[in-house]
Amino acid sequence: MILGVDVASMILGGVAAGMVLFIVSVGLSVTMGLMGFVNLAHGAFAMLGGYIIVLSMNYWGVHFLPALALGFVVTAAVSFAFERLLYARLYRATELDQVLFTIGLVFMAIASVTLVVGPENQQLVLPAMLQGQVDLGFTQYRTYSIFLIAIGIIIVVGLWLGFERTRIGAQIRATVDNRRMTESLGINVDRLFTITFAFGSGMAALGGGLGAEFLGLDPQYALKYLVYFLIVVAVGGLGRVTGVFYAALLIGVLDFALKKYIPKGGTLFIFGLTILLLLWRPQGLFAGRAT
Amino acid sequence: MIVAAIKPTEHLAALAFAGRHRPRVWEPAPWIFAIAFYFAFPNYLGFGTELLVTILFALSLDLVLGYAGIITLGHAAFFGAGAYTVGMLAYHGIWNEPISSLMLAAIVAALVGLGSGLVLLRTQGLTLLMLTLCTMALLEEAANLGHEYTGGFDGLASLPIPPLLGLFEFNPLYPRTQYLYVLIVLFIAFLFVRTLIYSPFGQSLAGIRENTLRMHAVGSPVRARLITCYTISAAIAGIAGGLWAQANAYVNLTTLSLDRAAMVLIALILGGYGRIYGGFVGAVAYMALAHFLAKLYPTGWQLGLGLLLVVIALFARNGILGIGEALLRRIRAKHMPQ
Amino acid sequence: MTACLLETRTVSRNFGALAAVSDVEFRLEVGARHALIGPNGAGKTTFINLLTGVLRPTQGRVMLKGRDVTDIPEAQRVKLGIARTFQINRLFRGLTVLENVYIAVSERLGIALDMFRPAGARRDVIEEAMHLIAALKLEDDTGRRVSELPYGRQRLVEIAIALGLKPEVLLLDEPAAGVPSAESHIILDAIGSLSEQIGVLIIEHDMDVVFRFAERITVMVGGRIFAEGTPKEIAADPEIRAVYLGQAYHG
Ligand SMILES: Nc1ncnc2c1ncn2[C@@H]1O[C@H](COP(=O)(O)OP(=O)(O)O)[C@@H](O)[C@H]1O
Ligand SMILES: [Mg+2]
Repeated sequence: MILGVDVASMILGGVAAGMVLFIVSVGLSVTMGLMGFVNLAHGAFAMLGGYIIVLSMNYWGVHFLPALALGFVVTAAVSFAFERLLYARLYRATELDQVLFTIGLVFMAIASVTLVVGPENQQLVLPAMLQGQVDLGFTQYRTYSIFLIAIGIIIVVGLWLGFERTRIGAQIRATVDNRRMTESLGINVDRLFTITFAFGSGMAALGGGLGAEFLGLDPQYALKYLVYFLIVVAVGGLGRVTGVFYAALLIGVLDFALKKYIPKGGTLFIFGLTILLLLWRPQGLFAGRAT
Repeated sequence: MIVAAIKPTEHLAALAFAGRHRPRVWEPAPWIFAIAFYFAFPNYLGFGTELLVTILFALSLDLVLGYAGIITLGHAAFFGAGAYTVGMLAYHGIWNEPISSLMLAAIVAALVGLGSGLVLLRTQGLTLLMLTLCTMALLEEAANLGHEYTGGFDGLASLPIPPLLGLFEFNPLYPRTQYLYVLIVLFIAFLFVRTLIYSPFGQSLAGIRENTLRMHAVGSPVRARLITCYTISAAIAGIAGGLWAQANAYVNLTTLSLDRAAMVLIALILGGYGRIYGGFVGAVAYMALAHFLAKLYPTGWQLGLGLLLVVIALFARNGILGIGEALLRRIRAKHMPQ
Repeated sequence: MTACLLETRTVSRNFGALAAVSDVEFRLEVGARHALIGPNGAGKTTFINLLTGVLRPTQGRVMLKGRDVTDIPEAQRVKLGIARTFQINRLFRGLTVLENVYIAVSERLGIALDMFRPAGARRDVIEEAMHLIAALKLEDDTGRRVSELPYGRQRLVEIAIALGLKPEVLLLDEPAAGVPSAESHIILDAIGSLSEQIGVLIIEHDMDVVFRFAERITVMVGGRIFAEGTPKEIAADPEIRAVYLGQAYHG
């Protein structure tokens, strides 16, 4: 029984972490799927959002939820400007140029944040309501983790509906599947990309804020977790909302469990597993599905 | 028409192609500089050695990135494999003769390259990028965990490296032997790479880079070619890593880190990839800048480096050498009106 | 009966719900001068992709010189003697014209693994490449990068590469598309001077070219073979005139 509770709490913790991974990575998956743009600066947008959210709470006393909204809006706006002014010039460039460009952005983001805010970790102080534990009947569990899971579910359902039921969702799906055909139907793929890019960065910002409590928030954030975001996207498949969701949960739970049971070799295992998964399915584990 | 009268192989462009591998007059210059550096800056030979190692590493990366067009973020995997081969063999008292150790480093790195290449090079784009990253991270984690053999996070220090050929001491304070040793190895590797890129094999790599689909359509076994190239490049990177370990008499996790992989990539891009001297120019520019700026203004250095990358990606895709070539062309065009 | 070089048995290919090629039975004889015509979207390019191994058929077999090559990948089929050009140029754009042709010739000769000798030392390869370049009237562009050439000239490089493979089966996917009419005769001359032993299949929209060149014509419509016969038979078929020829002639 003890073991069962242990496993349940481990899974809850992993799922909560997986939700954050999902919220950050989903935008990356969709933009990469749409344009084939290798955007290594996605983590930098998550970091930007995280800083806006945490700093606005710590310095201006903004409440958690409005701060999240603020982080989303500002980051989406900033990324919109970046996309129009810079990214758009590189759509037809080689992957290498895209990699260099976005690594350059990451370096600049890290350095700018270090200069402006400082190199130290920024503490996210949760509102009292989200602190402490809740009674789930079979076990006590951290309120914030449950909150994260709830938010994650709301978002994935929302995104799924958006993908399945809206015009723009249908256009995104069609473009991911066959860009040329969509273009020949007269759909403005560039505009579609601008919108999804801004939206995806906004989501990353949300994830940056939501995850700051346990991922921390310092200038290295932009690089530190990038490999994880990329793994989630690569395993989940490009342009696949549900694929990324499953992959994020998988990686989240695995990471959580491995850190607990084999604190030393955990990362090794994740990298090894990713290699095997990608060899088995280069297009991602969940790429076969429609969304 | 006169053109039709001369033999096709005597066409000017055909002659240029037939002789394109011949050394140019200025080609001894970098080597003369390197030797001059030895005499002019005896106090900077440690820095010079590091620079030469970086050039060799960049040269190996250029082979896969600039010539075969494989985008990798994980090339330090092979550098580290070579460094750890030398380091572990020496530290545990198994083998430490410098030259044969270096060959072992090349072999081990080549095997890592072959093994990973066999599986990675089936994929492309983001997946390939991810897999190169993951392979390197995997090796780094393994080196971190295998504490007993690799020294874990601290690495292996004070490697007992015997004198080169039994004659020349490796003195960590006055790395004169190291400098000349690395210079000679670099020169040999350079000759090999230079021969390779002008060979039919090198030509076929350029074909793969320019249009993989067409290469299939001319009957080229593209994947086997890429794996061959990847393995050779890994061996050279392993030699660079082995040299690094011998020259410093230690090895640690930084040899396998993303930082090192990114550094060599940036240096190569800065100089101009797909040009045999790109690594030379880029490594010199990068290391000189890093040497003077990174310690004084680390944050400013990072900001500048980021800006530089953005600017290169947007405006100067061919790096310093590319800018130089463009300038030269312009000057020539001015002096030779049609 | 002449010997059969290339043959398909009920070959089909679907893209999702779309049947781009259905149940095609096709033969290309030794020395054939065969044209494949049909409206845009008929499935002609897809059919070539099936023959060369760029695509796998959903159903059916492809036979090359009596051998089932359906499961043999594209590059190996080239070694078996099949070469093609692409409807939309697929060239080594950053390389010179000579390098483009050199690559093809060196792959055919199997010297492309040689990494210790300069490419320029293989005078035989250069000479062969230069002959092809001369045949396609590209001498003046020998040392220029392909990306710097006008599209029409690039089309000629496309053909030079395919000829550099010395194929027994040559598949030409709209070779003259995008070539100024002043230069299209270069292509026809080059094709016309090919060895009698080679089987050539050409996709072409220009009916003058088709009737001048082809000894046999296959008409493809909606992924299916609509008709096949000699130019005379095809020209005389009222149905073909109605659905295809008339429209091609007038627009
Ligand atoms: N890779 C592909 N994916 C989806 N549909 C394709 C693909 N290639 C061709 N098609 C479709 O197959 C049909 C036949 O195309 P194609 O073979 O190019 O015709 P043609 O060469 O006769 O003009 C067209 O409707 C085209 O849109
Ligand atoms: Mg076509």
